[in-house]
Amino acid sequence: MSATPAVSVNHLTKVFKGSLGKGAFRAVHDVSLTVNVGEVYGLIGPNGSGKSTTMKAILGLLKPTAGDTRIFGIPSTEVASRRSVGFLPENPYFYKHLNGRETLHFYGKLCGMGGEKLKSRAEEMLALTGLEDAATRRVGGYSKGMLQRLGLAQALIHEPQLLVLDEPTAGVDPSGSRIIRDLIIEFRTRGITVLVTSHLLEQMQEVCDRVGIMAHGRMVREGRVEDLIAVENQTEMVLENASPELLAKIDALVKAEGGGTRMLRSGHPRTTLERLFLEATNEPKKP
Amino acid sequence: MSEVLPISAAVSVAPVRFSPRRVWTLAYATMTQLMRMKILPFLLVFCVLVAAMGFGASVINPEQQLSQFKTMSLGVLQIFSIVFGIVATALLLPKDLEDRTLYTILSKPVPRFDYVLGKLLGVLMLIASGLVIIDAVLSLVLWLQQSALFEASLAQLHSDKQDSPEVVAQMREIVARQGLTWNLHWAVWAIFLKASVVTTVALLLSCIASSTLFTIVITFCITIIGHGHAMIREFVLQPHLGSTSVRITSFLLAAICPDLAQFDVVDSVANGEIVPLGAVYEMTGIAALYMTVYLFVTHLVFVEKEL
Ligand SMILES: Nc1ncnc2c1ncn2[C@@H]1O[C@H](COP(=O)(O)OP(=O)(O)OP(=O)(O)O)[C@@H](O)[C@H]1O
Ligand SMILES: [Mg+2]
Repeated sequence: MSATPAVSVNHLTKVFKGSLGKGAFRAVHDVSLTVNVGEVYGLIGPNGSGKSTTMKAILGLLKPTAGDTRIFGIPSTEVASRRSVGFLPENPYFYKHLNGRETLHFYGKLCGMGGEKLKSRAEEMLALTGLEDAATRRVGGYSKGMLQRLGLAQALIHEPQLLVLDEPTAGVDPSGSRIIRDLIIEFRTRGITVLVTSHLLEQMQEVCDRVGIMAHGRMVREGRVEDLIAVENQTEMVLENASPELLAKIDALVKAEGGGTRMLRSGHPRTTLERLFLEATNEPKKP
Repeated sequence: MSEVLPISAAVSVAPVRFSPRRVWTLAYATMTQLMRMKILPFLLVFCVLVAAMGFGASVINPEQQLSQFKTMSLGVLQIFSIVFGIVATALLLPKDLEDRTLYTILSKPVPRFDYVLGKLLGVLMLIASGLVIIDAVLSLVLWLQQSALFEASLAQLHSDKQDSPEVVAQMREIVARQGLTWNLHWAVWAIFLKASVVTTVALLLSCIASSTLFTIVITFCITIIGHGHAMIREFVLQPHLGSTSVRITSFLLAAICPDLAQFDVVDSVANGEIVPLGAVYEMTGIAALYMTVYLFVTHLVFVEKEL
């Protein structure tokens, strides 16, 4: 693997100017992050915490107020940086007069593809995202989940080495969202780097190598998922078919042990990333 | 998902070059997008109107009738093409922004200039195809009318017993001069040039404001001012006229607005005057110059634009 990270964001700050100089809004505040080649990086945070803004800056759609962003070492301000990125924006929308297949052909041609190669690639992507049956229908009539799938297909059309996915599972049904999760896992085995945001923390915990948690435009936690969610001095026990008597015995054992050992809780385990998320993002806002 | 996504080696750092194919892709998409806005029926109505005007009018005298037909149809055509250019352009960019199609397009390796140029060419191509069709219809109507009028006049002369060879030849010459000549095509070409310049202005304004209404209103104002360009120039060149602020405003207007009167050949064509080829070249050159400058400024604005 090369040493150049797939994505690097250095001290990114983005201030949206209000109209007539009033109501300027700092959406992203001094955020730095690095996505290494071949890893799946999850960006999580509450609504309005600046995740999409960070992604747009990475793709050169927004100009940073301060700091800079790079893709495979190329500054995002250069068009060349977008050569091997596939981007799925949040709530994607396409030319509604085209059908699904024509849409993929359009985006493929924009990437310099053409001929039989593009045709077969488009069919592959339609199959991959489960849109074969809708391929000849106008995009104007697509449902939200279908648009999302088409968005994923167009992001993949030119075989990019980096995928930037802004809420790929939003509006997608449970089985579709599972398929997308499996796809992301498959991308990783192929060495494709993925930067993804999602509010489905359970899935994020499953697919991400590393996560960054954003709140109020700042990065409040960052690191490997295992490290982040491991609580050093706690042990979780998951039992199957445990009788109430057994649980009472265990409880008694723990009490008998004395010292610092305490039973904090028992019950069905929660998604730990979710717990961390709530903790991290409910911390008091920094000035 | 078998060998779908092979990993290629290093990522190329070479700058992405201007690509005519990409521009064509964007222009073609723009054209189809506009076509779906139901413009073809509009075109058809115009053609029917032209035909009705051509055949329906009462016979006054052949020269006047042909001239009137040309003035009217070319005038309507000019207005139609300018309105179409402005409105279509003003709709396109805000629509792409609103639908966020711009995000998916510009997150591909697409230089922003290619995008802007594609949009402009898409609109111009549609105007051009419309004009070609209408030019053909006009030519046909004019030719039919010309022959019909010549026959009618000949019959008239015959019944008046005045059909001496000289008079007939004179009549033939008058009708032919007012009838179908290359002049008609040059007039349509001039109409296209003017519409193209105005469309480029609309694109620039649309990049600055990304508001449809603003673009339409201001471009119409600029179009009207552009027709009085000579007047403003004269005013600015006269020393001691008007207050300083008025003079500065007029100077700015003269600098910003294109001189659209340069493309007014419709009147002389309607009068049956010959448009010299030199004038056509000059007109084309002026239009190209205006469009290059406006497009360059558009590019400067759009490259900096926050999406
Ligand atoms: N173009 C803009 N102009 C002004 N403010 C903006 C603009 N785009 C985003 N913002 C603001 O920036 C903040 C961050 O927005 P962003 O879309 O990045 O949030 P997010 O983390 O993606 O949220 P979500 O989970 O809802 O998608 C929000 O408060 C939003 O209102
Ligand atoms: Mg978002």
